[in-house]
Amino acid sequence: MNVDYLTRRLFLQGTAGAAFARTGMASLLAMAESACTARDESAPFVTLSQDEAREFEAIAARILPTTDTPGAREAGVIRFMDKAFGSFGTEWYADAKKGLAEFQAAVASEFPGAGRFSDLDESDQDRYLQTQQDSEFFQLMRTGTILGFFCMSSYGGNRDDIGWKLLGLSGGHASWQPPFGYYDAEYVSQNDVQGERHGE
Amino acid sequence: MANETQASFRNDQEVDFVIVGSGSAGGIIAKELSTKGFDVVVLEQGPFRKAADFTHDELSVLVLHELMGGGQKNNQQTFRDDESKVAVVQPNPPAEYAQTVGGSSVHFTANFWRFHEVDFKERSLLGPISGTNFADWPISYAELEPYYSRVDWEIGVSGAPGPFDPPRSRPFPVPPLPVKSSGALLEKGAKAIGLHAQPAPMAILSQPHNGRAPCINCGYCMSFGCEVGAKSSTLAAMIPQAMASGHCEIRAECAVFRVVTGENGRVSEVLYYGPDGKEQAQKAKAVVLSANGAETARLLLNSANSKFPDGLANSSGFVGRNLMFNGHSAATALFEHALNDYKGVQVTRIIHDFYDSDPARGFYGGGGIDARPLFVSTPAMYALAGMAPDAPTWGKEFKERLAHDYARQMFVIGHTTSLALDSNNITIDPTHKDRWGRPSLRMTYKDHPDDLAMAKFLQGYSMQMLEAAGATQSWAMPVHAQNAGAHLLGTCRMGDDSGTSVVDKYHRSHDIPNLFICDGSSFVTSGRGQPTMTIMALAFRAAEHIAAAAQRNEI
Repeated sequence: MNVDYLTRRLFLQGTAGAAFARTGMASLLAMAESACTARDESAPFVTLSQDEAREFEAIAARILPTTDTPGAREAGVIRFMDKAFGSFGTEWYADAKKGLAEFQAAVASEFPGAGRFSDLDESDQDRYLQTQQDSEFFQLMRTGTILGFFCMSSYGGNRDDIGWKLLGLSGGHASWQPPFGYYDAEYVSQNDVQGERHGE
Repeated sequence: MANETQASFRNDQEVDFVIVGSGSAGGIIAKELSTKGFDVVVLEQGPFRKAADFTHDELSVLVLHELMGGGQKNNQQTFRDDESKVAVVQPNPPAEYAQTVGGSSVHFTANFWRFHEVDFKERSLLGPISGTNFADWPISYAELEPYYSRVDWEIGVSGAPGPFDPPRSRPFPVPPLPVKSSGALLEKGAKAIGLHAQPAPMAILSQPHNGRAPCINCGYCMSFGCEVGAKSSTLAAMIPQAMASGHCEIRAECAVFRVVTGENGRVSEVLYYGPDGKEQAQKAKAVVLSANGAETARLLLNSANSKFPDGLANSSGFVGRNLMFNGHSAATALFEHALNDYKGVQVTRIIHDFYDSDPARGFYGGGGIDARPLFVSTPAMYALAGMAPDAPTWGKEFKERLAHDYARQMFVIGHTTSLALDSNNITIDPTHKDRWGRPSLRMTYKDHPDDLAMAKFLQGYSMQMLEAAGATQSWAMPVHAQNAGAHLLGTCRMGDDSGTSVVDKYHRSHDIPNLFICDGSSFVTSGRGQPTMTIMALAFRAAEHIAAAAQRNEI
């Protein structure tokens, strides 16, 4: 949509835009880019408390779980959240803190004896998240997980291009050459594309 | 900032022209006037980014709106869909344009359709439409054609003629970009239902041209700047020539807040906030506004003074009115094999079978259709908003669907006319201010029912083509009234009648002889969805007439 940039923005408004508004992404619009790269597993969190980091990471790990391929945990999504919440996403962090308190209170009443979501086994975690998936807090966690999984590793996540590799993108996907896909290869083999005239 | 090679003028020195905005129109007019020897100062509110500054950073560009001035936190644009409501600051900016040298030609998708003959005289052909300001242009396609050809060759357009194209005096300078799977599938589907796909004309170089490098198919066109300068922005194609002329100074990070008129009713100087935030003034013999169809209107309205209490150039009351976005629809589908549509430019095939309005449809409107990756372009947007409605939104199967579907999905977009309405407009917000303290832009907009009907009409054919092309799954995204636009058109329309237009057919304002306006605001009708080619053709034509008038001492 400018795109005909316009087109793209239109659908961001209509679809992603609504999703952003719903998830508190609006607050992400208050921003400045930050620069550092946190890659050290043992490095202390800059913004998140240990408890927050543990809970957010457990949630992210159910949104994009570790399967036969790496998931949110391996991609360092929690490092992205630590950076985002401390820089361009500070308002978002406030929403996340508030949401987590309510989320944890509900976990405690639902699973007596289990202090935290991250203490539950994965099937209980999934079952509990099923009941939470329409909440603003869950949607915010989903948005943060996706951004952390797929955005550039300089923001702390997408470690070793794990997110891009899941989609079949190699490296920094800097440039490509045709054929790009199955159907254009087929088209070129069936049509005299080289003969396409470009002027009259 | 390579400003060491450009001219430098004192603020109290009366230059020949101040141009507000360095985008599709401003960049061309700056190059044209400066290379003819006129002294020109260009004031651009965004920074001077170069090709090497552009990234594939999805977070910065798409979420944080780096190229759009940092988004609503800084811009505080307000929106409402009806004049009876109080406009509010919504999360995403309603007027979507780039704040950077080169303007929105830097971040646009580069679809580059010429208007057709019909776009300029549709009111005469179809008759009036009640409740609208539907009108003919004061110029014809034939008058603009030589300038379209200049855009082709001097800006750089890839393409090949199509069956519905208007006549052209010169061939395309470079051939179409390599067809993508989405283009091949659109063509297959079109053929199956009796429509005619054609190679998309794109302002992205398929081969070296004018000393510029061709496209490397990285896929980061839409919303992003081009890191190799293959996208034919004014930043790549015009600004370097303007700077090399020795008669042009590009002042980046300079935000104009007022155009000043003197006792004689002529423009005398322009006031702006410099990079340090301090107020500055630049004297000029004449001023050209090319700030885009939203900001040009805002500046004219914010420049109201005792002599022009309703804003400059606004004796008609038409400044800010008749805002047009073009309407849109989207259909999308999955296929058996990998398309990898995130590779390469957005669009390689388009359909213009429905370009003309047809009274038999029961509503006014025309449009075009294209195939593109849209949400598939970048990973996070896809995961957030682009997936099939039956795909889970989290968990193991979500991950599996991401891995499987990303390479196999494409979108088909319909682009429509928008009707000119009094009720769709740019005004000044009574409460909010932007980061410079300028009263905010307030947008009021609601698509006309005919515009929405046309979008749905194109979507119906889009779905048919996807199915005929062999989609394994297809779905339509809802068509609804828009609350943001990147095509900002019509708000200072050109015309022969000073009572119903803001500028004459040569872009001189009816009210102020040394004030010219050329950008999307000059449009009388919206075209079928890709306005930048026409903005650029108008700019070449305007510059020629402005220069000739200056040489005759008639400004």
